[in-house]
Amino acid sequence: MDTQVTQPLSPPRADVPVASASIASALLPFAALLVVGLAFPLFGGGYWGVIATRACVYWVLVSGLNLVVGFAGQIAIGWVALLTLGAYTTSVLVAGNVMPAWPPYLALAASAVVGAVFGLIIGLPALRLRTFYFAITTLGFATIVTQVALAWQSVTGGGVGVPGPIFPPPFSSQWGFYYFCFGLAAICTWMTANIAASRFGRALAAIRDAEVAAEASGISKPALLVTVFLFAGAAAAVAGGLFASLQSYITPDAFTIDLSILFFIAILIGGRSSIIGPLLGTILLTVLPEFAAPLVAWSTFLYAVLLLVIVLVIPGGIAEMLDFKNRRPLESDRAIVPRPELVARLFGAASGAGALTLQQVALSFGGVKAIDGLDLEIRPGQVHGLIGPNGSGKTTTLNVISGYYAPQRGEVRLNGAALPEAALHLRAEKRIARTFQTPRIVGSASVLENVMIGGTIDGQATFVESLLSLPRHWRDEARLREAAMLALSTVGLERLAQVRADRLQHSELRFTEIARALMLRPAFLLLDEPAAGLSVDEIARLGALIIAISRAGTGVLLVEHHPDLIFDICHHVTVLNLGKTLAAGTPADIRSHREVVNAYLGG
Amino acid sequence: MVQSIILSGVAVGCVYALIAIAYNVMFSASRVFSFTAGTLGMLGGVLGSLFILRMGLPVSVGFVLALAGGAVFGIITEIVAVRPVLKSLDQHLYVLSTLALALMVQQFTAIEWSTEPQPFPRLFDIARIDFDQQFWLPMLACAVSIVGLELLYRHTLIGYAFLAISEDNYAARALGLPERGLRMASFAIAGAIGALAGFAGGEMLLAFFANAPMLTFYGFVPVALGGMGNNRGAVVAGLLLGLFQQAANFLVGGIFASVAVFTVFIVVLLARPDGLAGASLRRRV
Amino acid sequence: MPISAADPLLDVSGLSSGYGKIGVLRGIDFKVGAGEVVALLGPNGAGKTTLLRAVSGLLPWSGTVRFGGRDLAGLSPRDTVKSGLAHVVEGHRVFTQLDVIDNLLLAAYDLPRGERTARIEEVLALFPEIAAKRHERAAWLSGGQQQILAVAQGLIRRPRLLMLDEPSAGLSPVLVDRVLVVVQRLRESGTAVLLVEQLIEKALALADRVYALARGSIVLEAQANEADLPHRLEQAYMTGGSK
Repeated sequence: MDTQVTQPLSPPRADVPVASASIASALLPFAALLVVGLAFPLFGGGYWGVIATRACVYWVLVSGLNLVVGFAGQIAIGWVALLTLGAYTTSVLVAGNVMPAWPPYLALAASAVVGAVFGLIIGLPALRLRTFYFAITTLGFATIVTQVALAWQSVTGGGVGVPGPIFPPPFSSQWGFYYFCFGLAAICTWMTANIAASRFGRALAAIRDAEVAAEASGISKPALLVTVFLFAGAAAAVAGGLFASLQSYITPDAFTIDLSILFFIAILIGGRSSIIGPLLGTILLTVLPEFAAPLVAWSTFLYAVLLLVIVLVIPGGIAEMLDFKNRRPLESDRAIVPRPELVARLFGAASGAGALTLQQVALSFGGVKAIDGLDLEIRPGQVHGLIGPNGSGKTTTLNVISGYYAPQRGEVRLNGAALPEAALHLRAEKRIARTFQTPRIVGSASVLENVMIGGTIDGQATFVESLLSLPRHWRDEARLREAAMLALSTVGLERLAQVRADRLQHSELRFTEIARALMLRPAFLLLDEPAAGLSVDEIARLGALIIAISRAGTGVLLVEHHPDLIFDICHHVTVLNLGKTLAAGTPADIRSHREVVNAYLGG
Repeated sequence: MVQSIILSGVAVGCVYALIAIAYNVMFSASRVFSFTAGTLGMLGGVLGSLFILRMGLPVSVGFVLALAGGAVFGIITEIVAVRPVLKSLDQHLYVLSTLALALMVQQFTAIEWSTEPQPFPRLFDIARIDFDQQFWLPMLACAVSIVGLELLYRHTLIGYAFLAISEDNYAARALGLPERGLRMASFAIAGAIGALAGFAGGEMLLAFFANAPMLTFYGFVPVALGGMGNNRGAVVAGLLLGLFQQAANFLVGGIFASVAVFTVFIVVLLARPDGLAGASLRRRV
Repeated sequence: MPISAADPLLDVSGLSSGYGKIGVLRGIDFKVGAGEVVALLGPNGAGKTTLLRAVSGLLPWSGTVRFGGRDLAGLSPRDTVKSGLAHVVEGHRVFTQLDVIDNLLLAAYDLPRGERTARIEEVLALFPEIAAKRHERAAWLSGGQQQILAVAQGLIRRPRLLMLDEPSAGLSPVLVDRVLVVVQRLRESGTAVLLVEQLIEKALALADRVYALARGSIVLEAQANEADLPHRLEQAYMTGGSK
């Protein structure tokens, strides 16, 4: 991939003060919790010390699960299975009833490995199964693990249980152990916050809210899910080891479905793509039963009521309630003013690409021939229009080129080499980008973050490097941010960079999608009816932008209804009817072509 | 011994099949899988025991009230957990809202009724024999439900209307069918069927709040394996599940039986995510 | 354009509608008189289907819609059907698991039980080709027959206004003519028809008046027999306005 060769554009004035102010306000709750947590032993008594330790232990698990549920949107309800596994693994290894006793830290590390493996096993069905089915299977796993713990008496002590591990001084005292758990909780907070602010966190949100757009940007759902399941499993197992130590003695009935529900609900009331929300949610749910003393037996009932209320009233959870900056009103009468002259800077040096061709492509759905022997050639530097009545196969053609469908006959070739079929997520590395008929964006993320998703495959830091906030992660972020701001400036939306995307108007979302696609510095850009819903002015500006993109060397395929856009900016037009080419030529040719006028307008 | 496995297997399989049918009826009406199906089964048993044993009502009255209770809970589910969520763009919210509602009812039952399994009345005061009522009652309930639903869907106008909103909700609305009322009625029917499962199986399963999560899972297995919305597939899969479970119970004991069931379930589902029969309703694209 | 001295049957002004954030219709005004056939033409994506969906209550809308003097604001599709406005949706969508008679029965859902059979026979008399297949499942009918069944469903309630969304789509020319003959007969019997069509010539042959819709606005309104109409339509689509 070419590295960025352009001169960095000076950031628009609006960005700098907002950025530093928003970072400070985002860090404030964490800083406050850190101070309270460190100072806790000074004012909390022994009983509250146990509660606080428990909250830290739960958070270690929830922080990992948050990436699975809150970020990736996978409904993994039965995660207590990993708490159980971690608790028993650590306790059994330390107790030494199966093999010579292990030192506690080593046992904890071992259970992290076991947790990672089982996290993967429990999570893998998510790649194949529908949402509800996957939720049920995780519940099944949780029950199974508890039952195995009950039955495997020789190892787990069955219903009698095993003693939990005791960590060596200084962590053997109550407050010592508290600081140990607090330290691990703080590290987990830091690590998951790093992921949240990395391309992985954004990619997870993209998988959750705009899966097809994520794949079109090159994000591989299986790879990413595997990674977070491993991490969440390991975190949960470590939490299990700590839990066992806190309880001093564990039996299978300590690991109820109720605990699973607690973890899950903590994330949901916390809100998606948030660290602070689920963190506050965990603290709230751990502490709540203590305050509602006569209602302790009702705690799960109350959690369920809370969940229902959140789902119906504030699906965004605590995170949405804390999102003050997105309550500020936006200016009305906003105009989108693209700056086509920036395209050349955004793309850097154009690399020579050959043409994108379709040869005799055919695809049927059921008995209906959507495309029936189509030849098409998109050349770099040209805008190629694709028009035709409803049902003529325009969008299907675009979907075949972008790899969403595999053709039943014929081939799609780039530079003469056949493109892999039905491989949507591999198009990005070939620098083929696309937009969608209905904008697919992550509503809860900012406009800038949405555009940065387009550059995910350009990132070089690995998951671990992001987790540990290593230098390459920061370089990636800086580079991506700069490129994304440039892309936003190109499409004319830089003033809305920090705004949550679901607050934008439809036309602004269209241009956001284009900015996202431009992040790939595409050799080919496939636009699916980009003018729909735009005003006359906006269509004219869109046209100028597309022309600039083609002049920078990109081959543009423009699927459209609006005749003005097609005739004004296309170099070449293909008219489809009933899945076949009806006519092809320059706009002037097409306009006067009798059959085209009839087919297009009906008759 | 074999006879006992077959009898108990088919009987409990019929209970699972009825829960699966409740899932399917709710799914057909709303394209939503509701976590409340297992809770309905639990309610059938608990309400039956409450009305007949604790309150001393006659069996027939208790039966009607238990089913009515299920129907009411079904309607509440539609109004509170399904309808508000159908309007939103996030399709996964229904999983959470129905889960929350199911949990609320389960916990309430655990606290107000009992955390221990309570006895369920013997419905007909006749002596115990091999082919005892605890076995044939669920079978009868399952058969009656299947026949009843067939009659409903194939011979009544309201049954056609259910099929219509299930196949093509948009065309049904445009035609002027009362889509919302029909959906509520579907959920009421599903509620009654779920409660029937728990009531008919009450002597086997007892009146126990923890039947809810158990039935949520075991009632879903036939849905997943038989194909979404496919009632015939669900019945076949339910019977096979019941038999397999009882056989495994006998051969390897209770705990490993559930591991066995779960493993088979996961393996089959991963191999055929649409179930063994595939989704039976042709979706309009 | 003067229509008649009496109030129009369907009177729409300032209608706006769309899908979520995507606004499609921008302040539409149009009228359909009792017993009139009005054709609604326009290229793809203009908003014709959206317009019908808004009027029948399938989509939320703003503006004013009056039907037979009654305000349709907030009414569900069921209520608009009861008021005498039938909407035959695009794509010949019938219920494939049911037979022809049962499809028609569903259209008669809100009628008193005694009347249902009579109405069904009345409608089947208009369409012998599906009357012959009354006990066949709709899945086994051809696309054209399904479209005829859908139109038949729309007629069960004897609507005062029947809205047809592209009834010719996917039909052979013979069947297209069959359907359009029925439309002609409807006009003669006093039913108004709002016909969305892609086939300009056929629509013009049948209609009394014509509206052209492009990019969410009415760009042309004319009597169907005006000279030079096809050319003016083309101009209107391409450039966005001429009266």
